[in-house]
Amino acid sequence: MVEAAAGKIVARGLTRRFGSKLALAPTDLDVGPGGVTGLLGPNGSGKTTLMRMLIGLTKPDAGEASVDGAALEGDGLAIRRRCAYAPGEIALYGELSGAQQLEFLLRGRERDAHARAEDYARRFELPLERRVHAYSHGMKRQLLFAAALAPQVRVRILDEPSEGLDPTKRGVLIELLREDAARGTTILLSSHHLGEVDRVCQRFVFIHGGKVIANESAESTAARARRLLRVAYAPHAGLAQALARAAGELAPHVRSARVRDTELLVELADDDPRGVLERLTRFDGVGAPTALEFGRASLQELYRDLYGVEAC
Amino acid sequence: MIRWLNSTLGRGIGFFIVLELMLVPAVLYWPDFSKHIGKFRALAPLPVMRGIIDTLETGGAFAYVTGQHFFKGCNTLGVAAAVLLSVGAVAGEAHRGTLEIFLARPVSRTRLLTERYVEGALAVCLPVFASTLTIPALLEHIGEKLTYGPLLWSALHTNLLLLAIYSLGFFLSTLSRTPLAIAFALLFFTILQFALYLVERVTHWSLFRLTDVERFLEIQKRGGLDPKYWLPLAGVSLALYIASLRAFARRTP
Repeated sequence: MVEAAAGKIVARGLTRRFGSKLALAPTDLDVGPGGVTGLLGPNGSGKTTLMRMLIGLTKPDAGEASVDGAALEGDGLAIRRRCAYAPGEIALYGELSGAQQLEFLLRGRERDAHARAEDYARRFELPLERRVHAYSHGMKRQLLFAAALAPQVRVRILDEPSEGLDPTKRGVLIELLREDAARGTTILLSSHHLGEVDRVCQRFVFIHGGKVIANESAESTAARARRLLRVAYAPHAGLAQALARAAGELAPHVRSARVRDTELLVELADDDPRGVLERLTRFDGVGAPTALEFGRASLQELYRDLYGVEAC
Repeated sequence: MIRWLNSTLGRGIGFFIVLELMLVPAVLYWPDFSKHIGKFRALAPLPVMRGIIDTLETGGAFAYVTGQHFFKGCNTLGVAAAVLLSVGAVAGEAHRGTLEIFLARPVSRTRLLTERYVEGALAVCLPVFASTLTIPALLEHIGEKLTYGPLLWSALHTNLLLLAIYSLGFFLSTLSRTPLAIAFALLFFTILQFALYLVERVTHWSLFRLTDVERFLEIQKRGGLDPKYWLPLAGVSLALYIASLRAFARRTP
């Protein structure tokens, strides 16, 4: 049985296959209590499957989970009562007005949730009296977010809440997320817009090909990004083999080293690049570096360079 | 629920109006029909149809009215209503992409599906009862008199067949994301059943043998439903409802 604690999201060995495709390899997750955790990864990486499993929308093939102390059992009703969810799909009932759509989304919630949702919708300047079919993609997304933010729960699971929003509305969303997190709510937020997510998250879980490939605090991730050394060489015959040899020689002295095209990508073990730079001068067959970059990588570049995954 | 109920209520009222529009002229035509029944028999192209006319002649106003209302009206419009009201229940949500928001609320799947099932079933069955209740009053206009009892038993019997067809559509809807495909398949199936009914050598294989004039005359004679028919029909609906619940429990948005 998984640990069932208030305000926590816990998963142990959650697994799901769709036919022959492994949508999610056995996954462990510990989120909260409190704080915003970013579930990052490219499209099709398994983020939505994991989130849907956590609230009982998709049954796992194996593994167990609990959200805010409620175990994932049956159709997940106990969990859905304790957490709010914003789906990634934005299909809504076009024939309903914004207010009616909120009423539909908030069925089963406390009585004043609807009033709070309308308040949030007003902060996004949504015309609630208008029918949803007249809403733009971004407006529908804001309506779903307002509905997910309204219930008084300790956990919120939000699938791509900022997708399709313009920068102004994205700013409002981040502000609302910060306010909610300040009240002690645990937020699991999926996104492939790394630039915005790293502003609000305290922790990152990076998922790719149905597997969690990194799970660390924002500080640690930022420090790793700062320790990324990128060295470019002029292309010539034999460069690929020479770079592969160089990466192999560097590996015992750094956290990781890999080759991408004509570049050597090195994640240092500490903030001092001098030892590695000194070793670089001794490699045979690579020639002199044409460019060298250190300490400026973004979160997005970190994942791209270390895991070969485009996160955005 | 409000949205679905609105549309279901609207469809149910629409079904009642069309049933009534077919029923009123049919009932008022009974005196002329009974007068010229011999000519109708001569015009009937198939032996099965001649058999129906014979039954109407011997069964009188009750046979004629049940033939018009239940066998003709409900077996055609009722089946169409049962199919149209069932196929969109879950497949319609999946087709529109709204299944995720439908399921993501803190309401159990059993409750969500049961509400849908009951609302649709009422929209199919209540109009049949409601229109049946108008028959005695309509008959009074042409000097005929029938009591409510046999008519309401007949309505219940017809509804059991419609409910079974509705439950089949509903079950298929929980498995699919293309409501139109289910609707076409079910309508093809029922048209085939009607075609079978009209062919003398295979007529006993038709589903509509369960709700033809002979069956309603038996109900009138018996003063109630025959368990030989109502139990299997109700059993099929119950089994399909349970199967729908099971399929829906595993359904992924």
